[in-house]
Amino acid sequence: MYDLLKMACDLARHEGCQFADARYLSIRKQRVTSRDQAISSGSESDDRGFGVRVLFQDAWGFASSPNYNADEVVKVVALALRIARASALAPRAGGINWAPEAALRLEFKSDCRQEPFEVSLEDKADLLISANEVMLRNKTIKRAQGFLSFKRVQRWYVNTEGSECHSDVTTSESMIWAVAVGQDDFQTRHWQAPASNRGFESYSKQDFVEQAERIAAEAEQKLTARLAPEGDFDIVTDSENLSLTIHESVGHATELDRVMGYEVSMAGASFVSRDKMGNFQYGSDQVTLIADNTLEHGLATQGFDDDGVPGQRWEIVKDGIFQTYSSGREFAHYADEDRSRGSCRADHWSSIPIVRIPNLFLAPGKKALSPDELIGDIEHGLYFEGMDSFSIDQWRLNFQFGGNAVWEIKNGRKTGMLKAALYQSSTPYFWNACDASCDERFWKPHGVTTCGKGDPMQVAQMTHGAAPTRFRKIRICRGRDS
Amino acid sequence: MNRKQAQELIANILEIPREGELRIQVNGVNRLGTRFNDCAISQNVLRQQTTLTLVARLEQKQTSVTINTLDDRELIKTNIESLFATCRHMPDDEEVMPATGEVIDIDEHAFCSTTDATKIEDIGAWAALACQAGTKAKIDLAGLLEVGKMFTAYGDSNGGFAHERHHRIDYHVTASGAHGSGWAEHQGVSIDADEVLTSTQRAINKCARAQNPGLFKPRPITVILEPQAVGDLLSMAFWYGFDQRAKDEGRSVFSHYDGDFGNLSLFSDPASTINPSLSFTEEGIALGKSMWLDQGEMQQLATNKYWAHKQDLTVKPSPRNLILSGAGTTLDDLVESTQDGILVTRFWYIRATDPGTLGFTGMTRDGTYRIKNGKVTNPVVEMRWNESVLRLLNNVVDSSEPIATGEFFPMAMPALKVENFRFSSLSE
Repeated sequence: MYDLLKMACDLARHEGCQFADARYLSIRKQRVTSRDQAISSGSESDDRGFGVRVLFQDAWGFASSPNYNADEVVKVVALALRIARASALAPRAGGINWAPEAALRLEFKSDCRQEPFEVSLEDKADLLISANEVMLRNKTIKRAQGFLSFKRVQRWYVNTEGSECHSDVTTSESMIWAVAVGQDDFQTRHWQAPASNRGFESYSKQDFVEQAERIAAEAEQKLTARLAPEGDFDIVTDSENLSLTIHESVGHATELDRVMGYEVSMAGASFVSRDKMGNFQYGSDQVTLIADNTLEHGLATQGFDDDGVPGQRWEIVKDGIFQTYSSGREFAHYADEDRSRGSCRADHWSSIPIVRIPNLFLAPGKKALSPDELIGDIEHGLYFEGMDSFSIDQWRLNFQFGGNAVWEIKNGRKTGMLKAALYQSSTPYFWNACDASCDERFWKPHGVTTCGKGDPMQVAQMTHGAAPTRFRKIRICRGRDS
Repeated sequence: MNRKQAQELIANILEIPREGELRIQVNGVNRLGTRFNDCAISQNVLRQQTTLTLVARLEQKQTSVTINTLDDRELIKTNIESLFATCRHMPDDEEVMPATGEVIDIDEHAFCSTTDATKIEDIGAWAALACQAGTKAKIDLAGLLEVGKMFTAYGDSNGGFAHERHHRIDYHVTASGAHGSGWAEHQGVSIDADEVLTSTQRAINKCARAQNPGLFKPRPITVILEPQAVGDLLSMAFWYGFDQRAKDEGRSVFSHYDGDFGNLSLFSDPASTINPSLSFTEEGIALGKSMWLDQGEMQQLATNKYWAHKQDLTVKPSPRNLILSGAGTTLDDLVESTQDGILVTRFWYIRATDPGTLGFTGMTRDGTYRIKNGKVTNPVVEMRWNESVLRLLNNVVDSSEPIATGEFFPMAMPALKVENFRFSSLSE
């Protein structure tokens, strides 16, 4: 498989390129979706092709093709060079400062004990329809739905520095949800079986059935829940809810390409300017946020990135202080770092690699602390569970998040469910209001598979995680008029 | 792939023996995206791909596969065999409907011969022109100039066939100064150097007026929303609510709402002269002009084949573009008639806060200005808003002519003047 990729790199080198790399990807996907007691769709795709990236006279060119043969490789390299020459019409002052990296020889395979593509359609349908049947037993549920989604990406990577790497990563993802309909309202409640780089062993029918019963009952409760109060309250977030907040307010904010203005035209910039490295109080001393592209089963764990840099682990925030960014080889020098953090990924063989959020999680609290004890210290507050409405400004400062289920906390106990609750804050204020997180017994990962970034848009995946965590005096507003 | 080639490909695939109904979709993309920031080209990526989707139906069972190999007959044959083998194991779904068998005549409204002739070097040169304008103005420019040349073909074993070539242009540019930014776009099916420069200059001018924003204490106030802000919000609302079945089953805001929708008209039309679209669906159903709101009167919402069959309704596919009528007042006149208000260039990160009331939140971005006594006076710090689209439609008091907008979905939207728009917090 490497021969044609090496040929592409050799051709590019012969043409005078400063650097070139070539990737071949084989992407197999399957998605099974359910609607009430039916399987509403079963689809598969098999997508193969290669891309060649060239750095020629300090200008980038990239071209790709699904036809993997010698003639096509010659054409694609020529096209990439032609595009690089067009890029050179508006060159970057000072050129491209490409961080050095030793030639990498690596084989990586994610842990997959039960190959999902070999599991029968009947077994997948049984999992989803069993859950739907349980949800529909609740008479307020007028629609029960779910999906199972599997992906296997095999990737071969070669560059002009002598790297030759191969990865084989299987990802599994699922969600079920119930829609309850009342006299004058409808409400949705979901459960996401954690997305991860694992196989079908991630899922058990017992989990699906138990969770189906719970979310159906909670969807019904949401119909008659009272509207959330407004004002400043203490809040507790569960792992899934905080994962999205981590993603938006820390993950994207600390992508170095964004900080340097490369994303201004689409996803925006960042308030985390380079002068904040090593001194900015991002959060309270309870806040340590760890990036780890070696995390077992992590969605961003793929052995090496698409710049040919192996996965790494580093601290983005340590004891509340901002440390450093996620980066790729083109950007490391902006942080005065000699080496890329290995966080540059492309979502397809026809996409160019860009800096992506790594696996990124909030370290659990160091002291033994249970969720009951965490909540027990709140007189009047709110408990946010699951992801719902989420929005953040282009500087990653002002944000507003909801929860898929929200409970009122009174006198140290979770009480009734609330409707339309949103927490609105500013990133440094919010993380500095964190005063405790439960210990590692309660830490859970949560997978994100639809992270959009880039222009044209690319979709990436990564794992976040947290234990239940408490934030003091956060502004609560609501998404519905009284 | 031209019409004749598509016909031949589909005919060849349909000759392969199979046990049931087969639908075929072929999608081809040739898209060059040139991205720049800091007045230099940062990415230049050509995406070329053709995909073949095969949908098998056996009575009430259906399944599909997508591959990107079109010239390997044996591979296609193997995929068809395994597709029908899988289909046999699918549980019955009463909602599976037969293929249309319809042959659709296409006028290719979204095809542009000058765009078809655009070369890699043209796009690089136009991006370079934009960068030079930024350098000259001493303002950082970042943007994307993307030229997409696509075709879509459909065929089925009941005799259905359609083929269309269609183009998309997406040019958007952000101009950033030390203390504020401006933005502009050019959407549609064609672009040239002059149009690149016009949009670029608009972003630069917006940026110049956006420096050193002052604080405006967030509160309900009259706003003038420029077309991108209108389009982003209305298209999001459309996908949350405009489904006939969800309405009929109580799962939509419109199941529980008996109020008004203002007096504007919202429709879709592949033949729009402002921002045309593909004119058939992936199921081979022709798209014509579809009214969604007719002068504030709600019409039948999007209805798929199954629901139309079950409820004895007309099939009304989800649209491929959206157009909002306007009153024709100019943007300048909208500003001039405003005593106390906010001018919003664009919205960002719109999300539903409550599908039950079509409540949304989002941010202003890249050029938000105070209006006093009919004049734009000063830039203000970007703000978050929380607002219901139902409330907004009823608070529209004036509008301009629609223009092309929509980075992700073709639209034609006017600027709207809206009273009592609810800003809720500052970006700080």
